Amino acid sequence: MPEFIEVKEVSKVFKISKRSNGVPGMIANLIMPKYEKREAVRGVSFSIQQGEMIGFIGPNGAGKSTMIKMLSGILFPDGGEIKVGKWIPYKQRKDYVGKIGVVFGQKSQLQWDLPVMDSFELLRAIYRIPKDLYRRNLERYIEMLLMEQFVHQPVRQLSLGQRMRADIVAALLHSPEIIFFDEPTIGVDVAGKEIIRNFIKDLNQQDNVTMLFTTHDMQDIENTCKRLIILDEGEKVYDGSLMGIREKYGTTRQLDVEFNQEEVVKPIANVEILEPDETDSRKRRFVFESRNVQINDLMNELLSQYDIRDINISEPEIESIIRKIYNGEVVSE
Amino acid sequence: MKIENDTLFLAGIYMKTTMKAWFQYRIDAVLRSIAVFLRESTGIIVIYFTLLQFDTLSGWNMSEMFFLFSLLFLTYGIMILFFTGLRDFGGMVRSGNFDRFLLRPRGLLFQLIFVDADWFAAIGQGGLGIVLFILSAGKVGIEWNIETIIYYVLAVAGGVLIQGAIFLILATLNIYLLQTDSLKELTYHNFRKFAGYPINIFHKAIQLIMIYVVPFAFVNYFPAQYLLRKPGAEEYSEIFFYLTPVVGSIWYLAAYLFWRISIRWYKSSGN
Repeated sequence: MPEFIEVKEVSKVFKISKRSNGVPGMIANLIMPKYEKREAVRGVSFSIQQGEMIGFIGPNGAGKSTMIKMLSGILFPDGGEIKVGKWIPYKQRKDYVGKIGVVFGQKSQLQWDLPVMDSFELLRAIYRIPKDLYRRNLERYIEMLLMEQFVHQPVRQLSLGQRMRADIVAALLHSPEIIFFDEPTIGVDVAGKEIIRNFIKDLNQQDNVTMLFTTHDMQDIENTCKRLIILDEGEKVYDGSLMGIREKYGTTRQLDVEFNQEEVVKPIANVEILEPDETDSRKRRFVFESRNVQINDLMNELLSQYDIRDINISEPEIESIIRKIYNGEVVSE
Repeated sequence: MKIENDTLFLAGIYMKTTMKAWFQYRIDAVLRSIAVFLRESTGIIVIYFTLLQFDTLSGWNMSEMFFLFSLLFLTYGIMILFFTGLRDFGGMVRSGNFDRFLLRPRGLLFQLIFVDADWFAAIGQGGLGIVLFILSAGKVGIEWNIETIIYYVLAVAGGVLIQGAIFLILATLNIYLLQTDSLKELTYHNFRKFAGYPINIFHKAIQLIMIYVVPFAFVNYFPAQYLLRKPGAEEYSEIFFYLTPVVGSIWYLAAYLFWRISIRWYKSSGN
């Protein structure tokens, strides 16, 4: 299958004007503005096939939004190349943006004071959507996102979750081939998140649309994406499957132990001993790297020395691994 | 042809949507339009009482002054219907909402022109212009025939274009400066205040600015002089009285080119 989206060695530098204080500073700024350069994206490459669903994650300021803006044609890259299908997004704006849909979780494109339907009608005219396609899409999305009760209400009366669903439909009415979601579940309650995730998943499977989305909620990724790209400080630090991330970084194991009575646990080499439940001193958590400590040895040692009621081995959650990647605590091997 | 129809259709939908948004609270809409009307009327009321004392200002009587003012308000009222998006453009750039326009498969300036219309300003100021016109048009000695009506319509169109061009230039400067509110106050609003009066009463420097830099003289003074021929008209070249539509077109074209160049720069340099 040919690559649909190709990103080669892309970088983006922002110039941030440095302001000096006081009147002399202001005059100096006018005559010779000083800029500070900030590299938002540094030599990032990846390719995506049609129909793939990609999760983009990274801490704030990692370059996710900048990447989405370059992919959607809003920003020119300073270096490298981006190609999507037959288009170069930032060069053929008017042609290209008719083929993509973009949802900004933080910024609504709906008319605040008007019923949701009025915004949809306006978008129909903007995107020149044929009447039957418009009607078909609208009916389908309204049903999938459970929106019947509120499409005729003014946007200002909607809950955040309802508004987000309406915004998602607004970005999809013209049947885009690629959809970018920038934090589509931010601030939405659990039930609302579930509806949005299911919708995204269903749409990807049924229509084979290519989707990229950024989020801070790992649940979003775990429930929807097979592939994950992690950015940190403008660089790509991981690109692969969700499971792969465990294999690559998830070498930490934890052993949760419950003793029959209160115990004073002696230190063990290479093992971190935590008290997960402060009110119950019979519980301990042993955290270690699987390459340093054999799990059998540790269990034997514990079983021989203490009176144990229950024992439970677990792998770390994806979220905690990713937090460690952000913090620079884990380096790929 | 098909494309044109489609563009007109979109413009129509945009207008319907903005009107619906601005007028959804009827009483509020009426009150706010009246508020604009009254706010702008205070200047007229000052003129009214001044002229009750002095009869004329540099040879212009009450009705003639009202006629001069009416062109200023009428052209603003029409202009703001199309340039509200550009008036608010700086805020859109700063908040990042401008990105949404870049994501739609339509011309950027077209979207900005039709995306919003400040109907309260249009009704308040345009309405005041119409009231002043009705109060004065019959009393200032203009013979309204085909010729003068065509002249008047072209003058209004030129005045709308001149002010639209200034709004477009100020909006475009936002791309470089991010904040041009004080510049707008300095250039547009200050000289608009001067424009309510016959400009020959001001210092030569102010007159030159109002002819060549912020060309408000062409919005109301020169067209009014063409129709009224008051003292002071002889101070200016006869050709100025005919140039309003030309000045409007040239200024708007220049503003448009500045916009095109700047928007290309904006996209390549980022925000």
